[in-house]
Amino acid sequence: MCARTQAAETGSEKQTATIRLDGLTKRYGEIIANDDVSFEVRPGEIFGYLGPNGAGKTTTIRLLLGLIKPTSGSAEVLGADVRDRRALTEAKAEVGYLPDELGFEERLTGRQVLDYFARMRGDERREELLDLFRPPLDRPVETYSSGNRRMLGIVQAFMHDPELVIMDEPTSGLDPLKQDRMHAFVAEERDAGKTIFFSSHVLSEVQHVCDRVGIVREGKLVALENIDDLLERGGKRVRVQFPEPVDEDRFGTSEMIDVETVDRTVRFTYTGEPATLLEHLVQFRIEDVDVGDPKLDDIFKHYYGDDGDAEAG
Amino acid sequence: MTAVLRNESERLVRGSVVLTGVLVVLVAFLFVVFPSIQREAELFEEVYPTFVLDLLGIVELHTIEGFVGGYIFAFVWVLIAGIYFAYVSGGMVSRDVRTRRLDLTLASPVSRESVVFQKVAALWVPLVALNAGLLATVLVGVTLLGESIDPVSLAMVHLLGVPYLLVCAGIGIVLSVRIDRDETAQAAALVVTFVLWLVDGLSQMSPDFEWMGGFTPSRYYDPSAILVHREYALFDATILLAAFLALLGIAVVVFVRRDI
Repeated sequence: MCARTQAAETGSEKQTATIRLDGLTKRYGEIIANDDVSFEVRPGEIFGYLGPNGAGKTTTIRLLLGLIKPTSGSAEVLGADVRDRRALTEAKAEVGYLPDELGFEERLTGRQVLDYFARMRGDERREELLDLFRPPLDRPVETYSSGNRRMLGIVQAFMHDPELVIMDEPTSGLDPLKQDRMHAFVAEERDAGKTIFFSSHVLSEVQHVCDRVGIVREGKLVALENIDDLLERGGKRVRVQFPEPVDEDRFGTSEMIDVETVDRTVRFTYTGEPATLLEHLVQFRIEDVDVGDPKLDDIFKHYYGDDGDAEAG
Repeated sequence: MTAVLRNESERLVRGSVVLTGVLVVLVAFLFVVFPSIQREAELFEEVYPTFVLDLLGIVELHTIEGFVGGYIFAFVWVLIAGIYFAYVSGGMVSRDVRTRRLDLTLASPVSRESVVFQKVAALWVPLVALNAGLLATVLVGVTLLGESIDPVSLAMVHLLGVPYLLVCAGIGIVLSVRIDRDETAQAAALVVTFVLWLVDGLSQMSPDFEWMGGFTPSRYYDPSAILVHREYALFDATILLAAFLALLGIAVVVFVRRDI
């Protein structure tokens, strides 16, 4: 409480950010896991934190939760400085956390796990959430599939009705149907006034769910984008198989990056409109086509360059 | 905020019950052989070199007090229970760090200090189980043998054993917050406790090295002296309690400062 009052006194703008990072840096010897990261997450938004695996997303989250200490810089979560342990502990009553790696007590049943967290945080929304996400509550967690684990994780993150929920790769392990349910649920929670910090390495997911996006590469924040701008910076990984070898110069266009040709197969990342790609493809005799999500790092290199500056999209 | 205490206590129930059962069987067996040991006690004390008797703290083996203090408590309590407390505590924090369980616990409004205190407090489970199990077995055994034992001394040998076991737990918990691999932390706690016990016994053999025994917890808990001579070393117990609190303090300071 007292941390929040202080925040209110030092300026009205400070009060508005749910999460604020100011030059947050974490080094492990020579490795810089987070390098001078600064941004704000506003109340009532879904903030996407997008980056390839190993970019430092989880490090940021662990800094925000006080699990690790910053080498330099600072951050505030719900007005509490992450370096002020007592204030941060108090603030955690209003924080939900869905980690990438879910460490539950394996011998306990799902219900016992939820009871354990309920004793620490409360569980006023438990039943409502269990109607949406249905892990087998009477079985020990050690028998759970990864999808069931994730659902149990979602329930524990939201069941105490926190103001802020921090999610790290929240849909990993969920089947597509449950992913959609999860995305819809997160949007509803945002509409009901919650703030969501949504960390992911899946571009399409972030484009689909988030309001604003921070893009992180190699520990640095390379861009803060509104979702409309990010939607223009999409991309698809495409594999095309021809009946006979094709002339790369004739087939290639400026929207294709990282083109690899092996015999009759061409692989590339397509950064243009999907319709334009299809119009282009029908001009060729084609045996097979695969279109999937691109490697995020290729897309980032294309749009944000190696030095992190955004190029014209 | 007792969720961690409750969870950790439940986790300790099974191990405590199993260990208590094993120790009860072991002690019962020792009582069965007591009559023959009693007959041969003099021979026994002659045959074994003094250092073995000193190492095990054996005095007055032919009396029931000497037998219970020198055989049962010196071995079952000081060595086995001490190692168990160190071993269990060694896994308490390190395992939760490795399995990422601690991330979710610490994402709740609970401080790191509280987590350590609650985990150590959960040791009430083995403490109660082992004390109750051993006390009952000794009482039954002594009665069946037609002997009698001073109830005050018996109560004191249990009571003064508690600070000793807490020091063993303190060694475990310090290693647990410092070492990330739980197997390593537990093995280290086991080895340290055993070596300290050994150092205490061996140091008593040579006046030159006797000072070294002063750094071992077993030096401050002497079951034979309590049962045979009714010497209740309350000051020694206070030293053990202070050592436990110091180890707990170190564990909290280390745990609060470290990255997880």
